[in-house]
Amino acid sequence: MDEHNEQELAEIRKVLKELLVTNLNLEDIEPEQIKDDEILFGQGLGLDSLDAVEIVVLLQRNFGLEVKDMKEGKKIFYSLDTLARYVLENRKQ
Amino acid sequence: MNIAGIGIVFNRGRGLPALEKALEEGWVPPTASRYSVSDDFIKDRVILKEMRRADTFSKMACLAAHDAVADSGLSVAGKSSLGIILASALGPYVTTFRFLDDILQYGDAKVSPTVFSHSVHNAAVSYIALCLQSRGPTLTITQFSQSFYQALLLAEAWMLEDRCTHVLVGSAEQCDDILEYVCRQKIHLAEDGKIEPFLFSESPKAVPGEGSVFFLLDKQETSGKYGKISIHGDNGVQGLDMYLLECSGLTGDEAVYRNDAKAGPLISSYTPLFGSMMSGIGFSCAAAALMLKNQRYYAAPVQSNPHNAPLCGGHQSAPLNTIRCISYGCHNEKMEFTLKHAHG
Amino acid sequence: MVISGMGVVSGCGNNVHETLDNFSTGCRKGGPPSLFKTDLPYPVFEVPGFQAGDGTVMRTFELAVAAANEAIRESGLENTLLAHRVGVCLGTTVASQLNDVDFYRAYRNTGSAPMHSVDRYLNGNLAGAIQQKFHLSGPACTVVNACSSGTDAIGVGISWLRADMCDIVICGGADELNRVPLCGFGSLGIVSDSLCKPFDKDRSGLNLGEGAGILIIEKENVLRKRGREKEFCISGYGLAADAYHLTAPRPDGSGLEAALTHAMNEAGISPGQVAFINAHGTATRDNDKVEGDVLARVFGSKVQFLSTKGYTGHTLGAAGGLEAVFTVLGLREGWIPQSIGFENEDDEIGIAPVREKTIINGNYAVSTSLAFGGNNSAIVIEKE
Repeated sequence: MDEHNEQELAEIRKVLKELLVTNLNLEDIEPEQIKDDEILFGQGLGLDSLDAVEIVVLLQRNFGLEVKDMKEGKKIFYSLDTLARYVLENRKQ
Repeated sequence: MNIAGIGIVFNRGRGLPALEKALEEGWVPPTASRYSVSDDFIKDRVILKEMRRADTFSKMACLAAHDAVADSGLSVAGKSSLGIILASALGPYVTTFRFLDDILQYGDAKVSPTVFSHSVHNAAVSYIALCLQSRGPTLTITQFSQSFYQALLLAEAWMLEDRCTHVLVGSAEQCDDILEYVCRQKIHLAEDGKIEPFLFSESPKAVPGEGSVFFLLDKQETSGKYGKISIHGDNGVQGLDMYLLECSGLTGDEAVYRNDAKAGPLISSYTPLFGSMMSGIGFSCAAAALMLKNQRYYAAPVQSNPHNAPLCGGHQSAPLNTIRCISYGCHNEKMEFTLKHAHG
Repeated sequence: MVISGMGVVSGCGNNVHETLDNFSTGCRKGGPPSLFKTDLPYPVFEVPGFQAGDGTVMRTFELAVAAANEAIRESGLENTLLAHRVGVCLGTTVASQLNDVDFYRAYRNTGSAPMHSVDRYLNGNLAGAIQQKFHLSGPACTVVNACSSGTDAIGVGISWLRADMCDIVICGGADELNRVPLCGFGSLGIVSDSLCKPFDKDRSGLNLGEGAGILIIEKENVLRKRGREKEFCISGYGLAADAYHLTAPRPDGSGLEAALTHAMNEAGISPGQVAFINAHGTATRDNDKVEGDVLARVFGSKVQFLSTKGYTGHTLGAAGGLEAVFTVLGLREGWIPQSIGFENEDDEIGIAPVREKTIINGNYAVSTSLAFGGNNSAIVIEKE
C-alpha cells in the first residue's frame, strides 16, 4: 500500500471513529481512544446487532456504500481496521 | 392494592425528596414556556448503564420505575410475579419526530434503525424489564387522559387473577416545541406559566409538562407507609379528608369539577407543580400518597379561588386518612380512585 | 372465556369467508405498496379493494370497524350490545403515533402545520374510537406492545372478564400499512424484497401487511343467558418478558417458553394435547430460529404448526388479533392451510411447518406472538 493510501486510510479511520462514538452513543470513550485495529463487537467495543444495522446506515449516508449481505457484513465489521479498508476500497470516488 | 414504593422524575427533580420539597415550597414559574425535565435529573450511570442509546422518554420511565422498587425495599426485581404496566398518552413521540427527520433528510432507505426502535411505545418498558431483570408480564398502554386510570384497573385485574403479586404501574410523558405548538393550536396556554386549577374554567389554561412516575403496588392486606389505593367501591364522601382534582387545562372544559368542589371535603390540586400532562393524575397520586405518609396537608400551590371552594390553604401536620383523586376525560367521563392511610 | 364472534380484514380477504377461500387454495397477493409513495423495493400486503373513507378518520380505525362489525354480527349482539357492560381492548402500533410525514414536513419547513392530522390522531385512539362508535360503557384500553399487541389485548380482555370489570369484550388488534414503519423495519435489515418465506432455510425477512382481527369474548353465563351455546373459548393466556435486548429476541427463547407454559397451565393442558400452533413466524432470521427452537423443545419435532404471515404479511398490532381468529378457524374447519412460502427445512431450526393443507384433530390450539422489546405472548384456544 502506498503512502497516499496509508494517509487516506488514516483519515477514514478518524472519520469512522467519530461517526461510531456519535451515532452509536458510545459512552466513556473518546474517538481517539479507539484503537486502529479495535474489534467492534463482543469483547472489543461491545457493539451489538442494533449497532451493526446502524453502521450499515452510516456507510450509506457517509460513503454511499451498501452492505446488503450481513454474512459479508460480518467480515467487514470485524474491526475498525477491516471497516476502514472496506470503505477505502469501495467508496464512490 | 397497597402502595409499596414510589419513584418520580419531574421538572423539580428526581425522587421523593424532590417531590416533598416542591410540595413544601409551592409554585415556581417554569424556566421557559413549559415545565421540562432537566437532563441533569436523568443522568445515572449506574441504573442506566445498559441504556447508552435510550431516549429521554425511556430514561425517565426507567429511573422512576427503578426508584419505585428501591423505595419499597422489596426484592421483587427478577421475579416473574412482578408485572410492569406503563401508561402514556403520547408515548415517545419526540423520537417519532426524530425518525421523521431522518426520512425527510435522508430518504426512506437511509433512516436510523436505532431511532426507529426507540420510537415505539414499548421501548421504555423493555428497558425497565432489562434494568430490573424482570421476566414477568410487561405491557404498555395508551388511552389519552384515561391512560393512568386504565393501567390501575389492569394492575388490579392482574392481581385478582393471580397473574402477579406485584405490579409496577406508571406513566410517562414528554413535551417539546412541537407538542407545545400543537397545544397552542388546540387549547389555551397560560403565558405566565401558572395553572389555576380552581377557576374551574370553561376555557382553562394549561402549561405543558413532562416526567414519569411509578408505583410499586402489591396485594398485601395491611397498608405500608403510603397506604392503599382502591378504584372501586364506596363513592360517598363519608370520612374523606380531601379531594385532589386533576385540573390542568388540558381537556378543554373544567366547569365539570365545580360539583366536586362543593361536595364537602377539602379541595386541593398540585397540577401547577407538575405541569399539564394527559396522564398527570399519576403525579397527583404520588402527591396524595406522600401526604398520607407524612400525615401532612400541603397547601394548594396556586390558590385563585373565585368559587370559594374549601381549599387546602396552608401546610399543616394533622391526621390525614383518605384522599380521593378525581379527573375527567375528554368526553367528561369521570375517573376516580381513593387512597387510604394505614390508620384510615 | 367464550368466543362468540370473530371478524377479519387482511391482505388475505375482507372477511372470514374470503380468508378461508384463500387459505384453501394457497393464494397470496403481496405486491408493491399503493397507499403511499416510497422508493423502497419491498412487497406488502394491502387489504384488497378496501373502501376507505375520506381521510378524516384513521384507516386503522376503519379496518377495525369492518372486522368488529363482522364479529358483532356473528355474536348476535347487533341489537343488544348496549344492554351489556362491554369493554374494548385493541392492540395497534400505527394508530398510536402521530407519525404523519406531511404534517411534520410542514411544521419543519414553516413552523406551522395544518391540524387535521392532529385531529385525526386525537380522535383516533383505537379503543376509545371503537368505544365511541358503538356507544359502549365498559373499560377501554389501547395496547401498544408492538408486534404482540393484538394477543396482549385479548389477554387484557380475559383479565377484565375474570375481574368482573365487564361482561363482554371486543378485543384483538388493527393496523394500517404505513410508510414510517416500512422505513423503520427496512432500516433494521429485516424486510424481504420478495414474498416472505417463514421458517424456510432461505428466508430473508418479513413483509409488512395491514388488517384487523377482532374477537368478541364474554363470560359463559352471559352467553347462556342470551340463549347461545359455547363452541370455542380462550382457556389460557401467558405473557413474559425477555429482559434481554430492545430489538433482538433472547436467543434461548426462555421468554416465549415461559409465556407458552403459563398459557397451557391456565388452560390445564399439556403440550401433547395441542393440535396445532399458529406461530408468529415473521420470516426474519432471528425470530424463526428462536421460535422454531422453542416449539420443537416444548411440543416435540412432530408438532403441526404454520405461519400465516405468508398470506397476510406482518400486520404488527393486528397480527395477534388476526391470528387468534385464524387459530379458531383451524379448530372450527378441521384443517389448517399450508404454511405458504415455506419450501426447505432449515437445519439450524430442525423443525418444519406444514407444507400442505392439513387435517387437524384435537380440541386445543395455540397462537404465539413475539414483539420488539422482548415481549412474548401466547393464547390457548379450546373447542368444546
